[in-house]
Amino acid sequence: MLANVPSAIVIGVDGHPVTVEVHVGQGLPGLTIVGLPDASCREARDRVRAAVMASGVKWPNLKITVNLAPSSTRKTGSGLDLAIAVGVLVANEDLAAEAVAGIGFLGELGLDGSVRTVPGIVPLVDALACEHVVVPVAAAPDAALVEGPHVRPVATLREVIAAASGDEPWPDHDLPARAPRTQADLDLADVRGQAAIRTALEVAAAGAHHLLMVGPPGSGKTMLASRLPGILPGLDRTEAMEVSRIHSAAGISLSGDLIRRPPLRAPHHTATMVALVGGGTDAMRPGEVSLAHGGVLFLDELAEFSPTVLDALRQPLEEGVIRVSRARFSARLPARVILVAAMNPCPCGEAGRPGACRCPDGILARYRRRLSGPLLDRFDLRVDVMRPQVEALLGGEAGERSETVAERVARARLAAHARGVRANADLHGPTLDRWAPFDAEAHAHLTDCLRRGRLSARGLARVRRVSLTLADLAGHDGPLTKRFVSTALALRSDVVLGAGVAA
Amino acid sequence: MTLAEPSLAAVLIVLSELPGVGPATLLECRSHPDPAALLGRVVSGRAHREAILEPAVSAFTRRNKAAGRSADPSEVAAGWARLAIALDPAEELARHRADGRSVHVLGEPGYPERLTEDPVPPALVFSEGDLSVLAGPTVAIVGTRNATRAGRDLAASLGAGLGRVGISVVSGLALGIDGAAHQGLVDAELPASGGRPIGVIASGLDIAYPSRHQRLHRDVVRTGVLLSETPLGLRPTAWRFPARNRIIAGLADAVVVVESRATGGSILTAGEAVARNVPVLAVPGHPTAPASAGTNDLIADGAILARDIEDVLVAVGRGGALDVVGGPVGEGEGDGLRPPDGPDEAAVLAVLGVDALVLDEVLARAGLSLADGSLALAGLEAKGLLERRGAWFERTTREARPGRTTRRSGR
Ligand SMILES: [Zn+2]
Repeated sequence: MLANVPSAIVIGVDGHPVTVEVHVGQGLPGLTIVGLPDASCREARDRVRAAVMASGVKWPNLKITVNLAPSSTRKTGSGLDLAIAVGVLVANEDLAAEAVAGIGFLGELGLDGSVRTVPGIVPLVDALACEHVVVPVAAAPDAALVEGPHVRPVATLREVIAAASGDEPWPDHDLPARAPRTQADLDLADVRGQAAIRTALEVAAAGAHHLLMVGPPGSGKTMLASRLPGILPGLDRTEAMEVSRIHSAAGISLSGDLIRRPPLRAPHHTATMVALVGGGTDAMRPGEVSLAHGGVLFLDELAEFSPTVLDALRQPLEEGVIRVSRARFSARLPARVILVAAMNPCPCGEAGRPGACRCPDGILARYRRRLSGPLLDRFDLRVDVMRPQVEALLGGEAGERSETVAERVARARLAAHARGVRANADLHGPTLDRWAPFDAEAHAHLTDCLRRGRLSARGLARVRRVSLTLADLAGHDGPLTKRFVSTALALRSDVVLGAGVAA
Repeated sequence: MTLAEPSLAAVLIVLSELPGVGPATLLECRSHPDPAALLGRVVSGRAHREAILEPAVSAFTRRNKAAGRSADPSEVAAGWARLAIALDPAEELARHRADGRSVHVLGEPGYPERLTEDPVPPALVFSEGDLSVLAGPTVAIVGTRNATRAGRDLAASLGAGLGRVGISVVSGLALGIDGAAHQGLVDAELPASGGRPIGVIASGLDIAYPSRHQRLHRDVVRTGVLLSETPLGLRPTAWRFPARNRIIAGLADAVVVVESRATGGSILTAGEAVARNVPVLAVPGHPTAPASAGTNDLIADGAILARDIEDVLVAVGRGGALDVVGGPVGEGEGDGLRPPDGPDEAAVLAVLGVDALVLDEVLARAGLSLADGSLALAGLEAKGLLERRGAWFERTTREARPGRTTRRSGR
């Protein structure tokens, strides 16, 4: 007898439908799984057998063959357990094929017959084109986020058998309480003084420009970075679904609520390459960069990250996507982030201050070498963050509220949309030249900067983009003036490169 | 070793090339009745059994141990032996005399007169350039490597000003104050009657350290003289800098410390000067300025106040600035610079004193918005009135208090 049960696997951030075909027939008793299962998937054999027996059903003493179709894709993980168990029961005629027709099954089996959740419930359910989906109780709230299928939460295999054989109705479980996301976005009003970095954050949000903050320890770089998501536009339904799907694929529970605010991820500098960019196993779990998709990736102490890890960030930052390839398949992990990085200007903490920095030349040179070149070049904004002066902290007027800033940011994004891009950071080459002309005075000033070596040709494009975002924020129309250009230049210091090096 | 008895200079050069042999050890070797015999003991691997050399062997052994390398005196002595065998004294002497360089041994003709009476005179000095410069009046200008723009400007103007009255400038060719003082002097392009640069370096004469001063290194050789007690080819190890500082103090009629942190190397130079009865001058700074913490301490401890070149000239008995060559003493203030444009630029310039400020500090103190402040900074930078170094903005002052020098020097 043959049975077909729909299920799914997740690779990267996408679900892929898998049909579990089970044949029970004469031959040497045992269970064989074919169709490119990996080790964790092959272990299903023992889990399924124990779970079936624990559910009070006699295990067929026959030759059982499980084929996972399509056989071209590597099957990984334990999420097919439940589908395999159901397939065996149908093929052995313990359950009627009609009773489970049109139902997809997702979940791992415990040896005691319990049904456990697996990572990636959102993409998994999304991949199943079924009217009903049976999922573990814990995964039900997240599964319900996918529009379409009717979700049936189960706690044990026994419940599935009872319902499918008509002995009992499908169970009605109390679902885990939906914890609505009360992400209290931190307010920019708490940042007193520090006009330059406040503007830099606003510009980064409005133009999706990458931002490097340079300052000594204790200058509040983390506190500043954590306020960036609060001034970014919220995620629309499509973006929210995409971001939620990524988090689900990474095994993070969504508690039944879509992620509607731009995420902030702040991996530690000891994070491995896999933890950061993803991949690793055949499941190709998304890493921190993908988890920050649609939001902010904050790398504190940038100079402490391993050079290999930083190097691996360059391509994703450029293309907004990470491509991971294995022998048989490849995956695309979304990675469109605003990168905010922070670092000390020099090891002694005096920030290279003339007359105060105690760093020997050799140490400074080594410190700068670690970060030189291509990665630093990704930052449109490079701003110095010094310890706020006491008077600014105490007496200084509170900054503008995030809400007010966010309104300007949203307007600037609209201006970018009118140019056919998501944000100004996406403008390049001739398109950038077309949308961001300079007036005569600005042109003269930039020419002077280029001539004096204060600006490089590549830096010019970045200054141009930032100037355009500044103009958008100010509601300015027409050619960019010297006012915007000089502000953009001020927000692009040669902090790390030292004196006399073009920005 | 060659059969012919090597000269004292040749023996001392080989001994000075042994790792761990410093000025004190070399001076003792120089005083030994038979330095060649000492070298013979080194060659036979018994340096650690020689009373004069034993402390140097032990010290080097301890350094090795601290660095996690072999820590046995006999091994160090064996290493010395291998090195000494490989070095031919006559060839070493020839090598150090090639390419216009000279070798001077304490007590022999040609050795710098000023150093013979030194408490710890170098047993061996290598020179390149015109050694006769040492006979004239000299002032040392020293200070921190990481100097402020104002400090470097003052050092440069002092260097040039001293040169104009025929006083040569002794310095260490380090980044910051040292380099600025010599650069100022070189840039003044004085005739032969002017003061000249005297560079005392911690590396071998053939190594420009820091490499950024390669050109200045050449200019000092060309227009003045470069001195070192380090053999050719050796990079400066940490202990060589304080040793070098004592030579700077020993060669100067007065030492001027322009900027120094509380524990900077120039404070050590000032100490060496005090030990040699050489007057110490220090440029005062704001109490909160880290770059002036050391010089303010010196003044509190009795150093002479150096507000401008006049103070320095008075200290060396040349008050009144006679015999000015190549232009007046205080020349070069604010020349060719356009004035600030509009109230914003004036406000920014007003808050930029000697201390460097970062963008947010400039904005807060000048009371300007980011856009207005950026515009003003851009204008001032284009006019050359301010300079951006890393995150820091500095005013490009030529002199902290223009006017006084020119008035008194009787232009
Ligand atoms: Zn430092």
